[in-house]
Order: sequence, then structure tokens, then C-alpha cells
Amino acid sequence: MCLIAPGQSGDCRVRINIDGVLRTVVYGFPCSINPDPVEKKPFFHFLPGTKTLSLATVGCNLHCKNCQNWEISQANPEDSQAYFCPPEKLVEMAKNSACPSLAYTYTDPVVYYEYTYDTAKLARQSNIRNILITAAYINQQPWKQLLKYTDAARIDLKGMTDDFYIQVTSGTLKPVLDALILTKASGVHLEVINLVIPTLNDKPEQLRRLCRWVKENLGSETPLHFSRFFPQYKMRNLPPTSAETLDMAREIAMSEGLNYVYIGNISSNVGQNTYCPSCKRLLIERSGYTVLQNIIKDGCCPDCSKQIYGVWK
Amino acid sequence: MTRRKFIQKVIEALSAVIIGTCWLAKKASPRRFVRALRVKKYPGSLKPLDNIEKQSKWSG
Repeated sequence: MCLIAPGQSGDCRVRINIDGVLRTVVYGFPCSINPDPVEKKPFFHFLPGTKTLSLATVGCNLHCKNCQNWEISQANPEDSQAYFCPPEKLVEMAKNSACPSLAYTYTDPVVYYEYTYDTAKLARQSNIRNILITAAYINQQPWKQLLKYTDAARIDLKGMTDDFYIQVTSGTLKPVLDALILTKASGVHLEVINLVIPTLNDKPEQLRRLCRWVKENLGSETPLHFSRFFPQYKMRNLPPTSAETLDMAREIAMSEGLNYVYIGNISSNVGQNTYCPSCKRLLIERSGYTVLQNIIKDGCCPDCSKQIYGVWK
Repeated sequence: MTRRKFIQKVIEALSAVIIGTCWLAKKASPRRFVRALRVKKYPGSLKPLDNIEKQSKWSG
């Protein structure tokens, strides 16, 4: 939380104090609107094979040194270009482009909170699903409000220590853990992602701690994605994450009892597919963002009838 | 200790407890949730709503 002096903007650059009134300068002004595969978010257990109309405004309440979208997340609104697109227009565009969902993504929907909230409320009325791609660095009360209109959330769990959050993201860990627990408790579909950064959070004991926390607090059914780091923004001194490290992370997660563990940002034979945790049958085969085959029937494995966590239609 | 001093001490102690409890209660209560109001004009420049059929270059 930052205190904003009159005439100044907050840490996110897009919320300003004008004569004692908090204002958002990005409401209705997204800098990006694109139809993306839902697998790009990544969501692997939510309407697989569909497109999602994805949007973002500039600004972010975190300042991750490795941000892949820093050109928009760390931009000043004054220096940026945006569309004029009020919530009604976005919902209409989603319907016209045959996207069953709207994704609030790229930067962080908690920064364009009011725009996300109003659009999501409207989209719900038109049977368009709402999906949030967020670091969940938000207080409980507004998060609870937003979850009422959210169908799925993909939340970054960037590390398991406050030190890591402070040094790499400029945030803290506890609000993120609280938001994850609240999301799960609210019944919203949840997938978790962890960017594995060489030397910073790639040690087996660090990965094991994260996996244990996920299992104990979110359950073994919650999909966990390990993503490959690439040198970006202010963190160009580190190498990309090796395939071996990502495989190790997946092995650790599965040995800790997580049922759905994926690796991303890298081509992988098994790390992108969904297998039945009960009979090990290949259920969804993926290549990149493409679903090659999906044999899940009514949300269950066709062989052993185990229910597979997710939203399938 | 005289009775007057004793009563004074009790009042001081009670005041400290009440102030402390109020401070704690204020700290523990949820922060006010303020909805930001929108502005009419974007501070940057606007671009036309076209070229939005392609997949985004941004991550996520």
C-alpha cells in the first residue's frame, strides 16, 4: 500500500490523488487487446483450445527486475498509447470474436481494478467468463469483491520468502499467500505459476518448500506451472533456466504429491501434457499453445472415470 | 502511598490500557477500500481500435 500525496501518482503510476480524490487514469484505456490461446496465459485446465480476448492497461504495483512486459508494466501513462474501449465495448468485442472469455492480463488487473471489476460484472451478464492473470499483490477486501465475478485465476507465486519478494519484485510475500488461499476457498478455478530463476529460487529445497505449501494450502489438484526464465529488463546477468532444472522442479512437485505439474516457456515432451493422476492415461496432448488432442469426457478420465480438476465447458 | 496517589496511578494505568486497546483495534481493523474514480481524458495518446485480431506479443 502506498500513500499518495495530492497531485502525485502511486507506485503503479496510474492511480493519482487529485484534490484528495483517488483517480485511475487507465479506466477504459487498454494499451493492448488481443485474442490469445488460453494456453498462453497459461491455463491448462480451463476451456482448453479456446481463445480468450486479452487486455491490459499500462502500470503495475510490482517492479519485478525480470519483468517480461516491462515496456507496458513500468510505463508512464503520459508516454503510452492506448485504445478507448469502455467495458460495454470489450464485452461486445469478446462476443463478436467468438471468445468465450475475457483475460485481464499482461500487466496486472489489480492495478486497473475498477476497469476489470466493471467489465467482469458486465461480461458475466453476457455469459462471457472472466479470467485474471495476476501476481495477486492485493488486500483481501478488494480481492474478495473481484473474485465474485471471476471464473478463473492464474496467480504467480514468485518465491517463498519475503527476501525474494522484496529484492526481486519490490513486494512482500504474505498478501500473495493470503490471496491464493482466499481464491481457492472462494471456489474460483485456480492455477499457480512459478518462474524458476537460476541462483535465486531454483534450489531443490526452495522448490520443495513451494510445492509443499501449494499442496497443504491449495490442494494436490491445483495445477502448478514452472516457467523458464529468460534474461530481461534489469536482470540480464543471469542465464536462462536450463531444461534439467525445470524437469527437476516438476519431479519434486510430483514427488510431493501434486497431480498436475507443467513446465512452460520451453518445448517439452511430457511437461506440457495432462495425464490422469489415477491411471496415468494421456488426457490432453499439447504442443506450444496448441491442443493436439483432448479426450477428457464430461470432466473425467475416459478410462478410470477419475474427475479431472478444471472447467471443461 | 496516599489514597489520592493510588487513585491517580489506577487512572493512569487504565488510561494506558484503553489507549493501547484502541490503537490495537485500529491497527487490526481492515483498511478502508476506496474505489478510484475514472478520468475523462487519457494522459497519453489514443490509437484507433484496429489491428487487434493478432495474438499479442506480450507474455501472459
